[in-house]
Amino acid sequence: MDAWILTITIFLPLAGAVLISLIPAERAAAIRRAALAMSALTLVAAIVAGVRYHAAQQLNPQSDYQLRAQYPWFSTGTMADTTEHDLVDTPWWAGSAITFPVDIGYKVGIDGISVWLLLLTAFLTPLAIWASFTGVNERLREYYALMLVLEAGMLGVFCALDLLLFYVFFEFTLIPLYFIIGIWGGAARRQAANKFFIFTLAGSLLTFAGVLYTAYFAFTKSGEFTLDLVKLVKLGQFGAIPFGVQWWLFLAFAAGFAIKVPLFPVHTWLPLAHTEAPTAGSVILAGVLLKLGTYGFCRISLAMLPAAAAALAPFMATLAIIGIIYGALAAWVQRDVKKLVAYSSVSHLGFCMLGLFSLKMAGVSGAVLLMVNHGLSTGALFLIVGMIYERYHTRDIHAIGGLARPMPWMAFFLVVFTLSSIGLPGLNGFVSEFLVLLGTALSGNTTDQFAAGPLGYAYVVPAAVGIILSAVYMLWMCQRVLFGPLTEPPHTPDTSRSLSPDLTRREIAILTPIALACLVIGVYPNPLLNSMNTSIAANILEPRQLHFATDESALERHTMVATDENTDRGSRSEFNPAPEAGGRKFERGARTSRLEFNSAPKGRRIVATSETRGIRSSKINPAPEGRRNGAPALEPGFPPPLRGGTPPAPPSPRAAPVATFVRPVGAVAPLFFSPAFAAIPSPEIPAPLTTDNFTASPALERTVR
Amino acid sequence: MNGLSAYLTTLAPEIVLTVGACAAILLGGRRAAPVALLATLLAFGWVLGAGIDETRLPGLRFNALSFYVRAITLGVGLLILLVNWHLPVAAERGEFFGMILFSMTGVMLTGAANDLLVLFFSLELVSVPIYVLVALSSPDKRASEASVKYFFLGALTAALMVYGFSFLYGVAGTTELFGADGGGIAGYLAGGGMRAPYALIGLALAFAGIAFKLAAFPFHVYAPDVYQGAASTITGLLAFLPKLAGLTALTIVLLAAGWNSGGRSAAIMWLLWIIAAGTMTVGNVLALLQHNAKRILGYSSIAHSGYMLIGVLAGPAAGEGPLRDGTAAMLFYIVVYGVMNLGAFAALGAISVDGRPAEELEDLNGVARTHPGLALALAICVFSLMGLPPTAGFLGKVYVFSSAFSLPVTDPFRVPMIALGIIGVVNAAIGAAYYLRIAAACYLTEVKTPQQPAGDRALRFGLALCALAMLILFVWPRGLSRQAQQASRGLTSSEFRTASVSERR
Repeated sequence: MDAWILTITIFLPLAGAVLISLIPAERAAAIRRAALAMSALTLVAAIVAGVRYHAAQQLNPQSDYQLRAQYPWFSTGTMADTTEHDLVDTPWWAGSAITFPVDIGYKVGIDGISVWLLLLTAFLTPLAIWASFTGVNERLREYYALMLVLEAGMLGVFCALDLLLFYVFFEFTLIPLYFIIGIWGGAARRQAANKFFIFTLAGSLLTFAGVLYTAYFAFTKSGEFTLDLVKLVKLGQFGAIPFGVQWWLFLAFAAGFAIKVPLFPVHTWLPLAHTEAPTAGSVILAGVLLKLGTYGFCRISLAMLPAAAAALAPFMATLAIIGIIYGALAAWVQRDVKKLVAYSSVSHLGFCMLGLFSLKMAGVSGAVLLMVNHGLSTGALFLIVGMIYERYHTRDIHAIGGLARPMPWMAFFLVVFTLSSIGLPGLNGFVSEFLVLLGTALSGNTTDQFAAGPLGYAYVVPAAVGIILSAVYMLWMCQRVLFGPLTEPPHTPDTSRSLSPDLTRREIAILTPIALACLVIGVYPNPLLNSMNTSIAANILEPRQLHFATDESALERHTMVATDENTDRGSRSEFNPAPEAGGRKFERGARTSRLEFNSAPKGRRIVATSETRGIRSSKINPAPEGRRNGAPALEPGFPPPLRGGTPPAPPSPRAAPVATFVRPVGAVAPLFFSPAFAAIPSPEIPAPLTTDNFTASPALERTVR
Repeated sequence: MNGLSAYLTTLAPEIVLTVGACAAILLGGRRAAPVALLATLLAFGWVLGAGIDETRLPGLRFNALSFYVRAITLGVGLLILLVNWHLPVAAERGEFFGMILFSMTGVMLTGAANDLLVLFFSLELVSVPIYVLVALSSPDKRASEASVKYFFLGALTAALMVYGFSFLYGVAGTTELFGADGGGIAGYLAGGGMRAPYALIGLALAFAGIAFKLAAFPFHVYAPDVYQGAASTITGLLAFLPKLAGLTALTIVLLAAGWNSGGRSAAIMWLLWIIAAGTMTVGNVLALLQHNAKRILGYSSIAHSGYMLIGVLAGPAAGEGPLRDGTAAMLFYIVVYGVMNLGAFAALGAISVDGRPAEELEDLNGVARTHPGLALALAICVFSLMGLPPTAGFLGKVYVFSSAFSLPVTDPFRVPMIALGIIGVVNAAIGAAYYLRIAAACYLTEVKTPQQPAGDRALRFGLALCALAMLILFVWPRGLSRQAQQASRGLTSSEFRTASVSERR
């Protein structure tokens, strides 16, 4: 079951699309119901996957991804090391075993980051489909089939554990969305669809080049063409990717992801696409598709390319802040409600990028939470705009007004989601925006507890201005649309197609679950944050941390941990000596570290040579007694790694607790009493790493020079 | 094996095709197409059943590459026959299908050529029937014009090529490419012959002739006109068989020039680099300016020649596997390209507007409404040409571009190849813009002039097979990619190492 559930979740919507295309075109009601049923079924499957994920995580907390499954696609199956080939005797249909190790294939699995995005996708799609029951009235079969195909693509992106598979799904989402915008969109739909398609494709083709080069680069390091994300992240964390390569790969990946996010200078496709797309298209576009970009940054750029991410973080954060301010200012002057919400997306996604590039636990977890929250609140805002449009056939703020009187339900929901969007405490937006700002601030905190990070207060202030601006334009929009004298275009509201002046029961039923989700996340975000933090620490930040670790023993131990785990899971990472990258030399501040990894051809025996030169940064406190004996000198302020290589042993009594960012938060917490803070010191972090936790596996032989 | 029996068994597929062609011409009328199909099926069965043989005949040398070329010619040839089933009017059917079979025979012989003369003759055997096919395909005057244009330019470049071959013969003293004892032109070139200016002139002129077959820059100018003039469905053949023959010939000539054994000549590398980069860019940029769907596809097929040249240039130097072996990547790509391009042209041929075949983009307006199945097949082929998942075109691009990025660090051409790969990727992005216009015409517009179906059931069946093949090859590429790999490995295997051995000596 566990091995299949993700595959079922991804392919259920595709099966639904096939099913719908078999229904005769004139049976509109059946098509709508079938689409809703299939997407609801997908939601059930996704919920099962979520439950199974957390159950599996409880059972096996050391594994970084759960529910993994794989199927060879490019893989050559047999990887027999035959050098001489008998060409004549090989049957024509079988080919011969290629003596070329490829590890690229259909690999899925989820962690605490992707599981929530998976659930978000599966949650929003049925609502978007349900919301199109009245809005879409032509070519129904194609419409609902494409919606389901789109859902499958998005689910696939979040489940993929192989870079090529990730890219396949990433690109695949373009096709259905292109048609959804281009066929069922507004007046300028063709232009919007073409711009959306060409912009995104042009960027992601550079990403494509990056993906291919990554495969080759992994080959030079590990002897196989692999795009397995887990292995690639290991390569990055062991410094096997030199800085120059990281730099170029980062730019290549950023080209595709930044356009998708969209980051400031390449955001121009978004307002047009959002405005012209049908309601459900906008919901999915804002709710999920933009997250493919931030998810890619988080999963690939941050984890696999630690040095380049750190070096480029100020640049990316600056773009993010320009996006925040620019998006907010542009939203302020819009007359079209939909365009206003679209520009607010630019602004919010800027926050998301800022959090990610703070490279701190708080910031990244805030950014991941913001992905979910933005999907909920902005998705709902687009739904409401669509509902208004269906009745009044306009989205012009000047043409409608005072709608709170005829549409009290709509007014209620609009206010709720507006407040959620501007980050009112008690609703979901607040938690994530606060964490993002906290992470950004901590990132630059160079006082005793923290090493200097890439960002700092200089980035917090303009971002906070962005929050104020968001309150300004959102509340202004609310005031114009809901209050004041009643303004309606002539001959409206249009109540044909079983609409009523206020929201119908169907529409209330669509918005209520989203509102509830906003409220729940706002009041008690701990379950989400704990689940996310575990994986963010293990899959994003710990590899980064190891990359920058300078303490010999830490490196040495983590080499062993990684190898040990790999052997357990049957997937070894081997690091071959390569002439041009026999070691890495990375300078950061006062530290210079050099690290070499060599290995015998076939695993098992890893020789880690590690040499430390230079001076430790004086800004880092001397390690407490318990850690000096070999416990990893993790950068203070960083939660301990959550995976132990060997079965967890009880913590040594001498072990000093590893510093987290509990302390400063504790200091501010009384000022802003909010449940959000409870999430930050994650209580479920297992015992700190001590010398006792690690025993060298007999299979390993190491030499420390 | 020696004597007549060796010829008969080894050359059986070509003989079957030739006999089939003669029978089709003699029988003519309704029976021509079934006879051609039967001959192709027989030959296909024979090729697959016999597997890879390594026979040497005078002037011919069979190996994994020739097996692969034969198999894919016949495999795609079956699809070509299906989509052309409805062409032309009854009177010329015999000649029409006979010429298709002759052209296929030429491609199959190209893969086995081991002598400059055989190489030249087989390349011409590919092209000459196509001059006839273009003229026969449509009663339109433009078809005759296209045929004449194609013929004159083809004759010119054939002369260039044979002139180049004469230089090679002059310096090497033999026309045999790979001698059994490590001699031949390959042995001569490896033994220091690459430094002789006449050898380089000879190779450069040979590449000119081959570039014409590929419609590669700067010999691409004829392609859109000829493709536009010929009937849509025969254009699928026109854009596939000569390219397959040309790329095979290029691979063989480069092999003789020591491409696989470390003796890469910088002059040849840069010459082909410029051809590849120019071909991609010219094809894609000029396609952006077109409004005629056939011309768009014509320019797009120029661009695809450029992508495939990347694979040829990368060559097998990086090691095995289509992800790094450029030749294998190219061999995979050419099949995918042939099928998707055939599918796109076949879809155009299956639609008629106002009693004439669909040609302008406007003719396709709203096809998704009137012919949803046709539009879907066309969309699949177009997205495959664009290189988007989930189609085989995506994998073709994965293989080809990956081979450009995979040259070892020690390789002197690593940086230019990476640059070429990036040029290719940027070109793929440019290409998306005009392919999208075809998809947009089908799906995003309202019907302008109602379309009528054209062609017969065989055409629609062939079209469906093309589209389906694109999806199947995406999910299961291994069958084909392994074969491509094996064909390329045949080129690096023991026999061809003679060149590098003699070089060391």
